[in-house]
Amino acid sequence: MSTPISPRALELLEDMRDNFEQGLVPLSVYNDPELSEVELDRVFNRNWVFLAHESEIPEPGDYVLRTIGEDPWIVVRDESGTIRVLLDSCRHRGAQVCRADKGNASHFRCPYHGWTYKNSGDLAGVPHRVESYRELDLKQWGLVRAPHVDTHRGLVFACLAADAPELSDYLGGIAWYLDVHLALTEFEVLGDPHRWVVGANWKIGAENFAGDSYHTESVHRSVVEVSLFPSILLKHGVAAQGKRHISGLGGHAANLNHDVGAPEEAQFWGYPSEVTEQFDAEGMDPDQYELAKWSKLSTGTVFPNLSYLCSAFVDAPGRPAGTVLMLRQWQPRGPAAMELWSWILVPKGASDEYKERVARVATASFSPSGNFEEDDTAIWSTIARTAGSRYARSRNLKLNYQMGMPGMAEIERDENWRGPGVALMSDLEDGGQRTVQRRWIEEMLRP
Amino acid sequence: MNDVPLQWEARQHAMDFLHLEADLLDRRRLPEWLELLHADLDYRIPVRTTRERSATTTFSAAAFHMIEDRSTCQARVDRFASEFAWAEDPPSRTRRFVSNVQALYADDARDTIDVRSNLLVFRARGEDAAIHLSGERQDVLSRGPQGWQLRSRTVLLDHTSLPTLNLAIFL
Repeated sequence: MSTPISPRALELLEDMRDNFEQGLVPLSVYNDPELSEVELDRVFNRNWVFLAHESEIPEPGDYVLRTIGEDPWIVVRDESGTIRVLLDSCRHRGAQVCRADKGNASHFRCPYHGWTYKNSGDLAGVPHRVESYRELDLKQWGLVRAPHVDTHRGLVFACLAADAPELSDYLGGIAWYLDVHLALTEFEVLGDPHRWVVGANWKIGAENFAGDSYHTESVHRSVVEVSLFPSILLKHGVAAQGKRHISGLGGHAANLNHDVGAPEEAQFWGYPSEVTEQFDAEGMDPDQYELAKWSKLSTGTVFPNLSYLCSAFVDAPGRPAGTVLMLRQWQPRGPAAMELWSWILVPKGASDEYKERVARVATASFSPSGNFEEDDTAIWSTIARTAGSRYARSRNLKLNYQMGMPGMAEIERDENWRGPGVALMSDLEDGGQRTVQRRWIEEMLRP
Repeated sequence: MNDVPLQWEARQHAMDFLHLEADLLDRRRLPEWLELLHADLDYRIPVRTTRERSATTTFSAAAFHMIEDRSTCQARVDRFASEFAWAEDPPSRTRRFVSNVQALYADDARDTIDVRSNLLVFRARGEDAAIHLSGERQDVLSRGPQGWQLRSRTVLLDHTSLPTLNLAIFL
């Protein structure tokens, strides 16, 4: 799956690689039409990409229409219960065979000439076959299937590379951190995902959730001022004992905020007792359960474009909190735009009242109208403009990702950390973001 | 046809209310807009999906772009007053076009009006290309001591994926 790359793009990437260990990143990678094209082939078309949560397609025939990079793929549970990922393109003339974002269908029928496919992707019917297509081998002309589809704790991924690693190997250590959430109980998607288009490069979102704790004091100060979020969670530095930045996970990264020491009460990100009573430590190792028990806020990024966030929020001062577990995907839409997809996960066994509260606080915090999120996207969109500037490109202007590097700070590694990866005892460092970037450079330079 | 004058009167009340409201929102006179909200306000913008024609609804029952009451609207307005609310600093320029207003009194006391109308919002922000949001509003207005107030609103957007970097404005 080798893709051509221009000499200029190659030079930019090699320059980024050569200066990367000094924490210097070319600004223009956040708005470059050539790199954006290469990304679709080298990053999205050959890594494991998140598509859906299993609770979105519980029954045979249930489907959702999703994208890998910018391409349309149908994620469907076939009649045998197997999840299939099918390119939404008729094998005859290429028209899309799926006309809805979601639904239930035993078959997909192309409107152009009527070729009909089972929800497994197999070609089932061709009009006038006996008269005109007698020798057509139906087995050869099913909808194209993603070669590798697998799930992890309800998360559905696909990989289009012929030589894909196993999903479990691909996820590696980040699975441990995902499971700190997902193994506690069964989760389901609350309604439908939010979708909106932001004029910013997708990598900015992926990096932000990988470990940009530094931005919260400035960007999100207003939500603390109006008592929509406890200020303690936005405080950084040495005094913030329970902050950990986890890197060394091969392109994935996690950011944790938990109570170290001897807190009086379990935290579980603020989940109420009606939910925590249903948590089951059997599905995880004791270290994971201990971390969950004292966790207050978690974010992370699974390379390339899936992120997650978990914390408690309120939608008005003085209200009872709701705990939001959010899945977030940064979908490339050209060099200077992305479509954000955002799923709210709720414990399946929680009461309807609690689920409604979560819908309210999640919408009020992280959604197109989120009191947190609104300010992030307003700022990210300005990066695309400067990154696309002739000046940045012609002078190869570099950004500073040196925070916390040796010489800048003496950040201790947590030698007692029980999870995978390298745990640094500060959230004032850029290691998680560099982890994502390092993997991105490797993928982009791999022919 | 006896109720034609009543329909006319109801529509006139509704249009006066909606035009005043649009003016306050476009001029960012948000504290005054809050006074138009009923204490028990229920305000929702459900997520929309593209569905096949046979589907009974295209709107999500559980996912919303906004799901608000009077207190959460107040919290949003208070946040916008902060000097760190970057989403609306600089503020976007908006212009709300309200049309196709249909209104009926919902009770004999003529204290409640069911209103349907179309909404087109033009929004320009900085030098970003302007965007439009389009949809239908289904409102219930309620008459109290302070005059007409918004008791409930459902905004049925025509978009599945919102063409905007955020929804830092009220619809």
